Amino acid sequence: MYLDIEFKRESRRAMAALPYLLQRRFLCTKTHQKWSVKQVTKSNFQETLSEIKIDIADSDFIAVSLQRTGSVSAPWHRVLPFDLPDTAYSKAKRAAERFQLLQFAVCPFSIRSSKLLAHPYNFHLFPRDELKIGMPSYSFSCQTSYLTSMAREGFDFNTCIYDGISYLSRAQESAARVQIRNPMRITHVVKSSPNPTVADSVFIERIKLRVKHWRKSCKDLSTKSDEVLVRSLRKIVLGSEEYGSRPCMNIDVCSERQVQLVLEMLGEFSDDLVPLIIPAKGGATQEVRVVLTSSKEDMVLFQNELQDLEEEWNKKVRGFREVIDLISASQRPVVSHNSLNDFTFIHSKFLAPLPPNVDEFLSSLRSVFPHVIDVQQLMKEILPLRNVTNIPTAISYLKDHFFAPIDVEILQQDAVNERKIHGHDVLRISLLFAKLCSVLRIAPIQTDSKKLVPALEEYANILNPCSASSQESTDGEVRIGTNNTRKVSCKHLVFLWGFKHGMTAGMLKSLIQGSHDIFSEEFDLRLVDRSCAIVVFWKPGLSETFLNVMNSEEISGSLRELVSEGLRAACYGIYKKVCSLGIWEVDLAESLEKALEESECFQNTDSEANSLDVHWFSDSTVNLDDL
Amino acid sequence: MKYKHHRARMALSRALSLPFSTTSTTTQPPQSAPFHLKHVTKSNFASALADLRRLVRSADFVAIDLEMTGVTSAPWRDSFEFDRSDVRYLKVKDSAEKFAVIQFGVCPFSWDPSNHCFLSHPHNFYVFPRQELPVDGPSYEFLCQTTSIDFLARYQFDFNACIHEGISYLSRGQEDDALRRLDMAYEDELSYTWCSSKEVKDKSLNRMADVLFTERIKIRFSEWCDGLLRDRSGGFPLQWTSDNAKQQFKTIFFKMRPALNLTGFTSHQLRLIKLVINKHFKDLTYIRVNSENNCSQVLVVYTETKDDRDFIMKEVKDEHLRGEENKIKAAIGFRHVIDLLSSEKKLIVGHNCFLDIAHVYSKFLGPLPLTTEEFVSSVNKYFPHIIDTKILLNTNFLLQQRMRKPRTSLSAAFASLCPQIALSSKSTGLALQQCVQVEVQVDDLRSSNWNSGAKHEAGYDAFMTGCIFAQACSHLGIDFKLHLPSENLAHNEKLHKYINRLYLSWTNGDIIDFSTGNKITEPLGTMNFKKLYPKIMFENIILIWGFPSKLKAREIRECISKVFGPTSVTSVYHLDETAVFVQFSKAGFVSDFLVLKETLETSDSLIFVLHPLAKLLEGGNTCAATYEIYKEICSSPISKVLFADQAEAVGIKSKTEVVETKVAVQSQEQGNFSKENEVNNVPKSAEKSKQGTVHNVKEVILSGHYKITDSLYTAEGNQI
Repeated sequence: MYLDIEFKRESRRAMAALPYLLQRRFLCTKTHQKWSVKQVTKSNFQETLSEIKIDIADSDFIAVSLQRTGSVSAPWHRVLPFDLPDTAYSKAKRAAERFQLLQFAVCPFSIRSSKLLAHPYNFHLFPRDELKIGMPSYSFSCQTSYLTSMAREGFDFNTCIYDGISYLSRAQESAARVQIRNPMRITHVVKSSPNPTVADSVFIERIKLRVKHWRKSCKDLSTKSDEVLVRSLRKIVLGSEEYGSRPCMNIDVCSERQVQLVLEMLGEFSDDLVPLIIPAKGGATQEVRVVLTSSKEDMVLFQNELQDLEEEWNKKVRGFREVIDLISASQRPVVSHNSLNDFTFIHSKFLAPLPPNVDEFLSSLRSVFPHVIDVQQLMKEILPLRNVTNIPTAISYLKDHFFAPIDVEILQQDAVNERKIHGHDVLRISLLFAKLCSVLRIAPIQTDSKKLVPALEEYANILNPCSASSQESTDGEVRIGTNNTRKVSCKHLVFLWGFKHGMTAGMLKSLIQGSHDIFSEEFDLRLVDRSCAIVVFWKPGLSETFLNVMNSEEISGSLRELVSEGLRAACYGIYKKVCSLGIWEVDLAESLEKALEESECFQNTDSEANSLDVHWFSDSTVNLDDL
Repeated sequence: MKYKHHRARMALSRALSLPFSTTSTTTQPPQSAPFHLKHVTKSNFASALADLRRLVRSADFVAIDLEMTGVTSAPWRDSFEFDRSDVRYLKVKDSAEKFAVIQFGVCPFSWDPSNHCFLSHPHNFYVFPRQELPVDGPSYEFLCQTTSIDFLARYQFDFNACIHEGISYLSRGQEDDALRRLDMAYEDELSYTWCSSKEVKDKSLNRMADVLFTERIKIRFSEWCDGLLRDRSGGFPLQWTSDNAKQQFKTIFFKMRPALNLTGFTSHQLRLIKLVINKHFKDLTYIRVNSENNCSQVLVVYTETKDDRDFIMKEVKDEHLRGEENKIKAAIGFRHVIDLLSSEKKLIVGHNCFLDIAHVYSKFLGPLPLTTEEFVSSVNKYFPHIIDTKILLNTNFLLQQRMRKPRTSLSAAFASLCPQIALSSKSTGLALQQCVQVEVQVDDLRSSNWNSGAKHEAGYDAFMTGCIFAQACSHLGIDFKLHLPSENLAHNEKLHKYINRLYLSWTNGDIIDFSTGNKITEPLGTMNFKKLYPKIMFENIILIWGFPSKLKAREIRECISKVFGPTSVTSVYHLDETAVFVQFSKAGFVSDFLVLKETLETSDSLIFVLHPLAKLLEGGNTCAATYEIYKEICSSPISKVLFADQAEAVGIKSKTEVVETKVAVQSQEQGNFSKENEVNNVPKSAEKSKQGTVHNVKEVILSGHYKITDSLYTAEGNQI
């Protein structure tokens, strides 16, 4: 399927002004009817799993895109240009914990010269409690505006809720194992310390004797044909039971040490015994179940049976997470747009609850997905795209300004007449990535699939949309960027609130300009939301002076008047506190006020925050007034 | 949503169907073709509302039922026997605030004297809290309980119809807010225009292009004004030089005054034009109006006098205000139905409907009050007559006998009280019983044995509720044949005992009277819940959480009994896997326990390890608090799945409060610094005399410890 020509025609028009948006949208839809994305629900999930496994193995990259039930509850809850990695993470964490995923699109793809070979899939998800254990999600939030706009795009909620695939995260799976208490197979026995205590020896001898006795009687039994009553009596006496068709006995243990000893003993004792571990409620082992097999062949047979059972259970429990595990196991670079949001969701839904701080999160994520590439990081290399967040716009721009033809070839066996148009973003992300690589002269072909080409390495694993590289946020220098993006230390930033409702940034700026001498120096002011503004003092030390003035007795003039009217100010540390404590009020002013109250209890100002830099966008493209 | 477990009988597809187009008005076909109840969405809401007004006005009573996106926001917020009535209300409040109503069933019933039957009109409204007005407040959000959504899906609930087509609404509170904001904006307008024009002025001075543009505009307008004057004195109308200008400035009449319609300017240019006009032209007015097709138009109007100018300004503003007000009125949506039920003062019938009423209140009236008393009196003003069929069935001995099975879930009650309707068949042997006939009318279709079977669809559930009520009334001896149309069913003395009485908690049988606000402690009828359980003394209860997860209720009881005596613990009840209620035999043990716990945690490790409570305190995360703290935790808007996490989340936010109000609330969750605080603060804040007793207790207990170290079990008896 070759689409480039149509795309070019479309994008020319798309670059025109607003009234043409509708037209563009129409054209988009027309184009995308040819882009068929495989829609996956409960019914065709198992067959798709084997397909996608092959596709992942054959591809160089995997693009992902997520459809959520909501994003931010209030304007200031979104990640803002002045957010530090940890405040940005707190915001993304809140959204990931609150909202739910309804669709997860995955597209394994490769780039061969100017060809994009893509295998797009769109998985419909619903956190159904399949095992009746209150997992994966007791409840989730929905944002009305989000659902409404999804409905406008023709989203089918019934498909999602009726036939969506469920899942359990890795952490939930282990918890479920404990809760349901499935016997676990032992794959390998680790040798314990060679010096057993007296208690150990006594314990092991006793167990050995029991097992020996039981095994002997079982062997005898199989030859003799007792009466039913006698047989059942014997069972009670010997503590023997049956596991499937095979005899088994349970050995109670008190500690993991004893489990170890029993397993070792069984390994030395006989080769027709298969041990299984029965987990206890707290996660420890409650007992070891020993199953007796009749011969070597029977033992192999039994082992296979166990493995099948386990796979069956895994399928049932993991559900969609199998796809996540496949992506992780492949170690392929994962390409996404807005990766901080995507990967906080992925971590919290499919791996484990989100850790409290950003560093733990990043290291935990890196152990599962070694290379995460955010197309927005690549877009930063092309100046006009720096602040573009819309994927189709970015593609159109590249079409018009660069010669980077990419043919999209969709390799999908049953890609005929898909009536739904969901999951196209993942294809757009793949296409955008391919184009960006072409424009930036990055050859994305990998010789070793485990490693990233060095040219991409510098863009990988940067999740915060505001920082340009993973190290940058920790160095102390102030940099003034080429496109008016100035870097500024957080200690120069002051939050201001308590002004009259409905003021614009300009009004507020002119109001405070004449209120005190401090404001005769250069400063900038932006509204964060309707209740709160952020002020940057370009001259060092002025922010402290200002905060001191605000709290001092000598405050005079019109600033005094403003403060009496309710004007308040706080340093960046208080904002950090708001995010870390999770005081997510609707108005930032309210949150800052609460955080101030909290901090009055223990006066430890966060000195660490002051050394960090954030970006200050003073060009007109980022207009915080619009928020 | 009430979980009434039964077989799913999906007789009909429940896809949203268009209203039936019928030519014949069938009255009673022998086996009438099955038809759907009336589904109402955005598209047919206006007409359905008009019909409903008429139906409700003539109805004897109206049955309602709601489908929600969930019931409990966390497992521990479920209804327990250990819920005091105030706590129970907090739990209901939490539920009503967090979850959304997505379907609302309304079924008016009216007695048809000619056919000796009730005529019912089941309506099924799809409701969705869409944000219709641009509000700068929080975005609308609601919670979904996964199991509830899955439950609705199993009954083929049409989520697409709900989200795509659901009717939105504004509560009275939201409407008032929107109107108030509008008024404020209206009043502030003048001051704002001044500010922003000043802003533009400052900026525009810097740009040459702007200076030239303003000059040109100034000339254009003065030419136009001169032209108008000349025109009046018999001259020729002004001719613009270029075609472009002709398009941009079009002379029209606005409210009988000459005006220029400005098109094709950028917002910046328009700002400059406005500035020029305000500054240089006393007889011109710059206004922005909304034309019929909802596009905003920019006009410059010529006025002869200042009075005329003020007049036209005011008129435009008022028009604008009216337009905005109309938008707000239009956004009221589904609340019109609720207002109708309220203004008609009809008898509202629900089944176990306390939660339903709370939802109605929070969605359509305003924020729920903090206390049960305020809530109840407020509801009573809004809906003066409510009857709960669950109360009726459980508290009336006669009805208990009538129902062969004692189950009072909606569908079970329906099947046993109204078999003739439930089974869709003409009564055979049941004819002897006084069966109340209920006919169903949907638009022009009428049937005497209608049964869509679509359970857990709000409209059908409301229908079942109404049928149960009609039948129950008949059993209570209310003869509808003698019943005069003027007589209000709500004032019937046979129903007097049941009216406005609702189950605050079904679990422990707490009933509340909405007309008096009284809680009814002694049970009304045969069902005696209090006999099943020992009486709960809330002041004797201590709440313990964060203990080692392997501990079971029995072990906790043993643990505490070892210290406080074998009969000290009345009961232990698991809230969830992380928390338990322990009810002591007397209130004194609660404070003793808290003091002992604090002492153990601050004393040296040897005593701690050997103390019987060590097992409970193991891990250092065990917290304990009184029932009042439990109430406080319940009132928090936060909802963590596990109680221990919830307590931690709430504790962090109100740590000082907890410390001040309770002598020995656990300090574990408060971090290290506040631990110091607590130790220092508590004796200061406590009264002197109290301090003394605290120390005494400490000494007694501590002296006990040394005995325990000698012989753990013999010392047990003389502990307290």
